[in-house]
Amino acid sequence: MTMKRTSPPVWLALLAAVFFLLASPLAAQEPAEPATGEEQAGDEGAEEEEKPPIPAGAELRVSPTELTLEVGDKATLTATVVDGDGEAIEGIDVVFFSRNRRRLGVNPAGEVEAHGPGDVQVIALVPKEAEDEPRRAEALLRVEVEVTIPNPPVESVEIVGLPGAFYSGTHLTLQARVVDITDVVRDNVEVAWSSSNTDVAVPDGFGGLDLLAPGRATLTATAEDATSQVDIQVARNPTEHLELTASADEARTGDVVRFEAVGRDDSGNEVEDLPIRFLVAGQSATGILAPGATAQIEQDGAFVAERSGIYTVTALGGSHSASVPVRVTPRRVNKEIEFVGQGKVSDRRTSDLWVWEGTDGRDYAITGTWGAEGHAYIWDVTNPESIVLIDAVRVDARTVNDVKVSEDGRVAVISREGASDRKNGFVVLDVSEPQVGVRILSRFDDQLRGGVHNVFIHDEHVYALSNGRRFDVISIEDPTQPYRVGRFELDTPGHSIHDIWVVDGVAFSSNWDDGVVAIDVGGAGMGGAPNNPVQLGSYAYPSGWNHAAYPYRSESTGEFYVFAGDEAFPYGELGRDPRAAPPRAAGWIHVISWDDWENPREVARYQVPEAGTHNLWIEDDIMYVAYYNGGLRVVDVSGELRGDLYQQGREIGMFMPYDPDALVPNSPFVWGPQPYKGHIFFSDWHSGLWAVKLKDPEDPNRIIGEPH
Amino acid sequence: MHMSTRRQPRTAALSTLLLAFGVFTGSALHAESDLTPPSREYYAYVCAESEDQVALVRFGPSGIEVTKTITVGSFPAETEGPHGINISPGGRYWYVSIAHGNPFGSIHKYETGTDEWLGDVQVGMFPATLDVAATTGLLFVVNSDFYGDHVPSTISVVETSTMTEIAQFESGTMPHGARFSRDGRKLYSANMMDDELVEIDALRFEVGRRLKLGRTGHSAGGHARHAGHEDTAAGHGAHGQPSVEPSWVTPPTSGGMVYVTALSGNAIYEVDTGAWKVARRLETPAPGPYNAAVAPDERLLVVTYKKGDSVGFWDLDEGREVARVSTTRRIPHGVAITSDGRFSLVTVEGVGGEPGVVEVYDNGAFRRVAQIDIGKQAGGIALWERN
Repeated sequence: MTMKRTSPPVWLALLAAVFFLLASPLAAQEPAEPATGEEQAGDEGAEEEEKPPIPAGAELRVSPTELTLEVGDKATLTATVVDGDGEAIEGIDVVFFSRNRRRLGVNPAGEVEAHGPGDVQVIALVPKEAEDEPRRAEALLRVEVEVTIPNPPVESVEIVGLPGAFYSGTHLTLQARVVDITDVVRDNVEVAWSSSNTDVAVPDGFGGLDLLAPGRATLTATAEDATSQVDIQVARNPTEHLELTASADEARTGDVVRFEAVGRDDSGNEVEDLPIRFLVAGQSATGILAPGATAQIEQDGAFVAERSGIYTVTALGGSHSASVPVRVTPRRVNKEIEFVGQGKVSDRRTSDLWVWEGTDGRDYAITGTWGAEGHAYIWDVTNPESIVLIDAVRVDARTVNDVKVSEDGRVAVISREGASDRKNGFVVLDVSEPQVGVRILSRFDDQLRGGVHNVFIHDEHVYALSNGRRFDVISIEDPTQPYRVGRFELDTPGHSIHDIWVVDGVAFSSNWDDGVVAIDVGGAGMGGAPNNPVQLGSYAYPSGWNHAAYPYRSESTGEFYVFAGDEAFPYGELGRDPRAAPPRAAGWIHVISWDDWENPREVARYQVPEAGTHNLWIEDDIMYVAYYNGGLRVVDVSGELRGDLYQQGREIGMFMPYDPDALVPNSPFVWGPQPYKGHIFFSDWHSGLWAVKLKDPEDPNRIIGEPH
Repeated sequence: MHMSTRRQPRTAALSTLLLAFGVFTGSALHAESDLTPPSREYYAYVCAESEDQVALVRFGPSGIEVTKTITVGSFPAETEGPHGINISPGGRYWYVSIAHGNPFGSIHKYETGTDEWLGDVQVGMFPATLDVAATTGLLFVVNSDFYGDHVPSTISVVETSTMTEIAQFESGTMPHGARFSRDGRKLYSANMMDDELVEIDALRFEVGRRLKLGRTGHSAGGHARHAGHEDTAAGHGAHGQPSVEPSWVTPPTSGGMVYVTALSGNAIYEVDTGAWKVARRLETPAPGPYNAAVAPDERLLVVTYKKGDSVGFWDLDEGREVARVSTTRRIPHGVAITSDGRFSLVTVEGVGGEPGVVEVYDNGAFRRVAQIDIGKQAGGIALWERN
C-alpha cells in the first residue's frame, strides 16, 4: 500500500462549497413520516429503574438447588443475591433459562414446567454491569440447577402379534406394546416375560418363547408396574414332516432365491400357523479366503449370497427340519469402463448435466456451473470422442445447480442460486437449435427468490424447489410466459426438500429427515394433478440424509423400486479440513420396494466404503451412481434386490475421472450420471463433462478387488 | 413515504460530480488532505456468503492482505451462506451465522487466532445478524428468513458456552440487524418488512418496544410482495408492503441514539432510545443505505449504499453527508470502524463470479486507502482486536 500527501485543488474546494449549498437542504430534516408516537408499542414503563450495585463477594443463591419433577409438574425457583454478609440485595435482575426448553420450560419469574423426561439444567444468571472489566462475554453470577424429570410411569403393556395356534417344540418371538401415562408409545422400557407353567412354555430371556410341551400356560409381560397376561393353549405339533422348496437350486451372487417351508400333518394337510425359522450355513468357494459373512436368509425365505459357494438353507418347524442346498456362482458382470471424451471445465466447478437428442438429430448436453458466474454450457456430444462446447448462457447467479431439458428437446430450464439481487428462480431456454444458438425465453422468480436448487420438467410443467421448503409447479406450455399452477409442501415440523423427479405423473421428492415422498400429479389415479398435488405415501430412514430419489420399475421382475440416495458430509473427520484434502462424503443408496404406496419397505443397499453418493440414474436394470470421491459406479440391479448389492459383486464397473489439469487436480468428485445411446455421460465437479463406455474385460478371469 | 422527487435528480447529479472528484462538502469533520499510514495492524473476520468462507484480513503499515481463509459449513457441495459474523466481547471467539440448512440455519463458534471450530447450534430460518452481550454471554441472532413467505420471524438466543439455543421468540417480519446496548439488557433490531425498529428485552427474551418508521404494520399474515431487497417505488407503502425497509441498526451511542438505515426509504433514522422516538430523519443522497457504523467519537457515521454502490460519511453533529466514495465493485454491504476511529472497513459483495472486496477508508480523508479481494459476496464483517 502506498500513501502520499496531496492537496486538493482550489477549484475542487469551490465545487464542494457549491454542493454544500445546494445539497444541505436535503440532508437534515425533522421526521416527516409517521415515525413517532401513535404506533409505538410497549413504551410504557420504559423508564429504567435504578439498579442497586452488586458488591464484590456477592453470591447468587437459587432454591431449590436441585429438583425432581414428573412430566407436567410445575415448581418455582427462587433466586436471591446476597452480599458477603449473607444479606439479601433487593432489586437485582436474575435471568433464567433452560438448556432444553422442549423438556423443561422456565419463565422469567423462575417458574418451571416439565414437558418431557430427561435431565435438564436450568441456569440462573445475574448480568454484569456495563462498565465491568474485563469486558468478557460472561455473567457476573451464575448458578446451575439440575432438574431431573423421570420417564412417565408405564400405564399399560399389551402382548401383541401372537399366532393363532401354538405348537409344542416351536419357538416364537414375543412382542409387546408399552404405553405410558402420557399416551406415548415407549420402546425404551424393558419388558420382562414370564410363564405360569415352564413345563409348557418358557421365555428364553431374549424376547423369545420356547414352547416345550402340550398344555396350558399363562404368559405374562411386565413393564414397570404394568402387566398383561395371555392364556395360551399349546397343542401337540401335528407336523409330521416339513417340505422346503427353493425357487432355484443355482444362483449367482446377488440373486434372490425364494425358499418356502410348509409343515404337513399325517394326512398331508398343511399345518396352519406353524412358526418357521430359516437358517443358512455353507462354504464359500475355495479361493475365497477369510470371506466373512457370505450369505443371508431373511425370515420371509429370501436367500441371497455375497460369495460363491455351496450353501444349505434349513427350515425349522418345531422338532422338524428340512434342508435344501443351493449352489452360488460368481455373478461375473464386471466390465471395464473406458474413456471416450471430455468437455473439460477446469476454471470453475461443474454441477448437473442433461443429454438429449436435438431437433436436428444431433446430440447435445447442457451442464451447469457451481459457485461461479452463472453459466450453463451447451455441448455438441454427437461424437462423444470429440465433445465440443458450442454455446454458453450466463444468468445473474453464482450457481446453476440444475439443468433439465423437455421431453421434446426444445426447452431447457436452468436453476439460479446466488443472484446478486437475491432474486433467484429459474430461467427457461430455447434449445431447439443449439447450433444456431441458445437464447433465454423467460425468467421466473415469483416466490422462488430464495434459490431454486433443483428442477424437473414433466409434461409442459416445471417442478421447481422453492427455498428448500416446498416445490412449485409452473406451466411452461408457453415457455415465454411461465405461470404457477400449484405447489406442494409438507406439514411436518422443520420440513425441507432437496430434489424432485417426476415419472408417469408421480413426483418423488427427496426431503432429508422426511425421506422420500410420493405425490400424485396426475398419473396415480388418486385425484392428483399439477394444480392439485396429492401425497401418496412416504418413506423416511433414520439418518435423515435423503438427498435424491430415482423411481424405477424393474424390467426383469416388474417390481417397483425407489432408489433413494444420501448426501452426507463430512465423512467423519475426513474432509473436514479442506487444507488437508478435498471433501469426502458418506452415504449410500437405499433400495425401497414400493409397490404399495402405504407400505414401502427398504430391502437393499448399495454402499461403497469410504465414499458417499450424489445423483443417480437407472436404465435397463443398470444403475449409474455419481459417488463423489468414489467416482462413477455402474451397478447391476436386475432381479429381486435384497441385502448389500456392493458386497454381492453386482458392481459392473467404476471409473475415476483423474485429470491433472482439473480445478482440483486428480480429485474425482463425480456429480451426476446419464446413460445415453451406448455411452455414459457424467459431470465431475472439478473437471467438467465426461463420456465413457462399458466394454468387455480383456481378461474375463482377471479379478480386481474382492473375489465373489 | 416522504420523498422529494424534484430534488433527488439534482442531488444525484452533484453526487456524481462529488464522486468523480472525490471531494467532501465542508463540515466540522474536516477532511484531512494527507493520508497517514496506519501505525498498527487491524484484523477483521469477513464472510464470503457465496464462497462458504470467512477471510481473516489484516490491514496495517505494510498494507492489506488475507492472512487466512477459513471454510465454514458442513456441505461442500451445497452453498450454505455465512452471512453475519461477530466477535465475542473480550475477543476470544468469533461466531458466524450460516444461512441455509435443512431448512434451518445455524450458528458456528470458532476460536480467534487458531480459528478452530468449537461447536454449532441450529437456530431459525436464514439467521443473519448476531451479537453477543458482554454482560451475560448470551448471543442473539435474528432469523431473517429472507426468502420465506413474509410472515413474522424470530430471534434466537444462544448460550455460547454450550452452544445451546435457549429461546426463540417472535420479533417481526424479516428481522435484520442486531446490536446490543452496552449493558447487554437491550437489543435493537429492524423488521425490514414491517418498517419498524424493535427494542428487545434481552433479559426476558421478548420484544419490549416497537417503533414504526414507515407505514407497514406488524402483520401476522403474509405480504403480497415476496421480494428480498428489491426497489420499492415511491409511494408504495400500502398496508402489507414496506415503505422504508429498515435494514440495520447501530449500537446505542452514549447518548442513547441508534441509527437505522432504511434500504428502500433512502434515509437514516436517528432514534432516541430514551424517548423512543425518531429524533432526525436524514435523507440519503444515494439510494439503498444498508449497513452503518458509528465512529468511537460518535460524530461520524459511515453508511454503505447497497443500491448506490458507494460509501457515505456523515457528520452526525450537522446531520449531513460530508463525503461519498464509489466502491470498486457493486453492492456494498457491511461496514466496521476500527476502535481508534481512524479507518472504516467496508465489504462489497460484487456480482456473479466477481470476488468480494474488503475496502479500507481513511475516516479523516474520506478516501479509500486499501482494498483486497476475498471470496464471492463479501458481507458480514467484524473487527478483531488481536491484542
